[in-house]
Amino acid sequence: MKRWLKEDLWRHAVALVISFFVLFPIYLVFLSALSPTGSLQVTSFIPKSISFRNFHLLFTSPAIPYLDWMKNSIVIAGTIAVLSVVIGAASAFAFSRLRFKGKKQGLQLLLLVQMFPAILSLSAVYVIMERVYSFAPRIGLGTEPGLLLVYLGGAMGVNIWLLKGFVDSIPIELDEAAKVDGASAVQTYWLIFVPLAAPVLAVVSLLSFIGTFNEFILARLFLVDQHSRTIAVGLQGFISGQYATNWGPFAAGSIIASIPLVAIFLSLQRYIISGLTAGSVKG
Amino acid sequence: MEKFFNRKVTVTLKYIVVAFTSALLLMLIMSSFAKREYAISGFLTIGLIAIAVTYLTNYSIPMKFFLPGMFFLFAFVVGPILYTVAMSTFHYETGNYISKPDAISRILATGVRPDPNQTTFDIIIGEDSSKNLEILASDPTNKVYFLSTASTKTDLDPATVAVDGNGDATIAPGFHALTPDQQTALDQQIATTRFVYSSAFFITIEGSNVASLKSQTLKYNSSNDTFVNVQTGAVYKDNGVGNYANLTNKTDFLQPGWRAPIWFSNYAKLFTDPQIRKPLIQVFIWTMVFATLTVLTQFALGLLVAMIMNRKLFGRRIYRSIFILPYAMPSIMSILIWGGMFDTEFGAINHLFGSHVPWFQNAFYARAAVIIVNLWLGFPYFYLITSGALQAIPAELSEAAAIDGASNRQIFRKITLPLLLQVVSPLLVASFAFNFNNFNIIYLLTGGGPTNTLGGAVAGSTDILISYTYKIAFGAGTQNLGLASAISVVIFFIIASISLYGIRRSRVLDSFK
Repeated sequence: MKRWLKEDLWRHAVALVISFFVLFPIYLVFLSALSPTGSLQVTSFIPKSISFRNFHLLFTSPAIPYLDWMKNSIVIAGTIAVLSVVIGAASAFAFSRLRFKGKKQGLQLLLLVQMFPAILSLSAVYVIMERVYSFAPRIGLGTEPGLLLVYLGGAMGVNIWLLKGFVDSIPIELDEAAKVDGASAVQTYWLIFVPLAAPVLAVVSLLSFIGTFNEFILARLFLVDQHSRTIAVGLQGFISGQYATNWGPFAAGSIIASIPLVAIFLSLQRYIISGLTAGSVKG
Repeated sequence: MEKFFNRKVTVTLKYIVVAFTSALLLMLIMSSFAKREYAISGFLTIGLIAIAVTYLTNYSIPMKFFLPGMFFLFAFVVGPILYTVAMSTFHYETGNYISKPDAISRILATGVRPDPNQTTFDIIIGEDSSKNLEILASDPTNKVYFLSTASTKTDLDPATVAVDGNGDATIAPGFHALTPDQQTALDQQIATTRFVYSSAFFITIEGSNVASLKSQTLKYNSSNDTFVNVQTGAVYKDNGVGNYANLTNKTDFLQPGWRAPIWFSNYAKLFTDPQIRKPLIQVFIWTMVFATLTVLTQFALGLLVAMIMNRKLFGRRIYRSIFILPYAMPSIMSILIWGGMFDTEFGAINHLFGSHVPWFQNAFYARAAVIIVNLWLGFPYFYLITSGALQAIPAELSEAAAIDGASNRQIFRKITLPLLLQVVSPLLVASFAFNFNNFNIIYLLTGGGPTNTLGGAVAGSTDILISYTYKIAFGAGTQNLGLASAISVVIFFIIASISLYGIRRSRVLDSFK
């Protein structure tokens, strides 16, 4: 008993304090979302009455195209998650398994390019896409396909790097066996590598999905129209500068937007964490 | 599976994809070439040739894998980086946004003044017999009537002209009036055409039936690239940094200017111009403090949690799920939520502690808020990392030390921590580099504020380099893309050296050899 007091009690005490720190904002969001007033002001930390008015408002108010935002976010993040891995995996495979001149330089370029933060070349992306708009208005500045193209470019560096790390850990003997049997590099890729790496590809595309879902600044620059915004841009614009007025619906909206991501994350945490140590820092 | 990868099917599929992509690229190449975007159409042409060579021959097997990724990487990452570097050598800001020929034509268009008598004419807008824009102008008081186009003026004899009740001419030989719809279609041309009047004066259209007499005050002399103001006699010469400046008064510019190459002046400004240097140093110091404090606090709390949980504890699984929640939530939502909680008037934090702290109005509190929120967001990452690393440290080491009489504190400082740091230090460096450029938390939480806007400052107390650069490039006042690009390049070098140091330590580069 004494040992328990000495060893475990303080651990529980510290853990409870940190739990409070972690849970406080989350509890508050639920409190605000379920409060009937929808204001930022907290009158009591214990709910006196529960109302779904804020959720109701989210789906019915014409001023909040919440479903459009949610749909845009899922479509954009989903497309990027699939395409960036399809394209990135091929490059990662080549970097990991093929021998060719300039491999080292290629990897160094990839590493160097990643160090140039995307936001810094934002003005250049803006000017370039403005020019693209002048001859191809459908994929230029201010369009969803344009945003997708820019995201795809940005996802390349990180994904190729991450995927290469995973590919390196797949035993090379399998490829060699295939090669001995007369398979070409392209056949090895499709018949051996892709089926073997499928779970890894799924994890990377999941990380890619989360990253794109969280992207804010490019989306804000590109998607001006209220209905074409992503959830991040929409909710931010919704409360920017006026926390007090729209807080309730915002809280409700962020709960709904977070639930799928949190659920995916918690259920696949084992795989995602192995990706973390391989060098990604989630934004 | 093998049926699906039947050679005939895959080859056909390949040709369909290649043909489709090529057609799409060809279309873009043609339309970009038509719009004179030669750089873009050149890049796309190279892409098209590369696709043809790579996928229709067996010239290079690795290229078959690389090409799609490389295309996007070069188009949207490498290209913009090079463009940024190029922009940093230009005088490129509000007022110096366009090319030099455009700037000259804008100056010419605006460098006019009405004639001293403020003469106006009643006009009808129409076309001459060869479909050139023409006006039928009348001055009923002086009984002057004429037709004028951009190139010729034809006087009409007042005795023969047919006039309406106001004394305005209504028809003239060869002249066809335009309907309002036709006028709308030619809107741009009608607004900009200068109709001939005399050698010193020309006519511009002011409304659907009024035109006025103007003269050019700023005249361009292309032989020595100068503008002369015929009214004051002032001479304006290209000052080499994107403006025509008065020869006798260097601060008198003609507007607009153009983006002119000024090589390293933007970089020099960072160190020499006190208006830029001072805020930049302040922002740089805070960026370092912010990134360091963030990594230290996140690591410390993460490690503490990992150590608490590194033994059998009642409810460990529940605790674990709670502790990784901040990491699982979309960070944008979390930051915005915290932003609401720190609100001075209604925020939950002031309510909880019964205080009235002006979180975002005071520099110190705003910085504290940023660190607290970032701690919340980031400590789970280090908890996950360090708990993995702690489990990898053999228990024998600390047991042996305990037998030798080492205290818990000694074991931690002399054994656990050094072993742990060996594993996590590359990740600490990576996290530092990430937070050095953590735009979202600053932008969404404080917007860089509080900012002394009355003092004309752009940089706020919590602005880090990247958010400051963003403000310079896209802010509300003057947008200086040249300067912002120069700062971006400097940041890149800082980050690259930090990361290279981290990579050296983690020996990632060894695998290249």
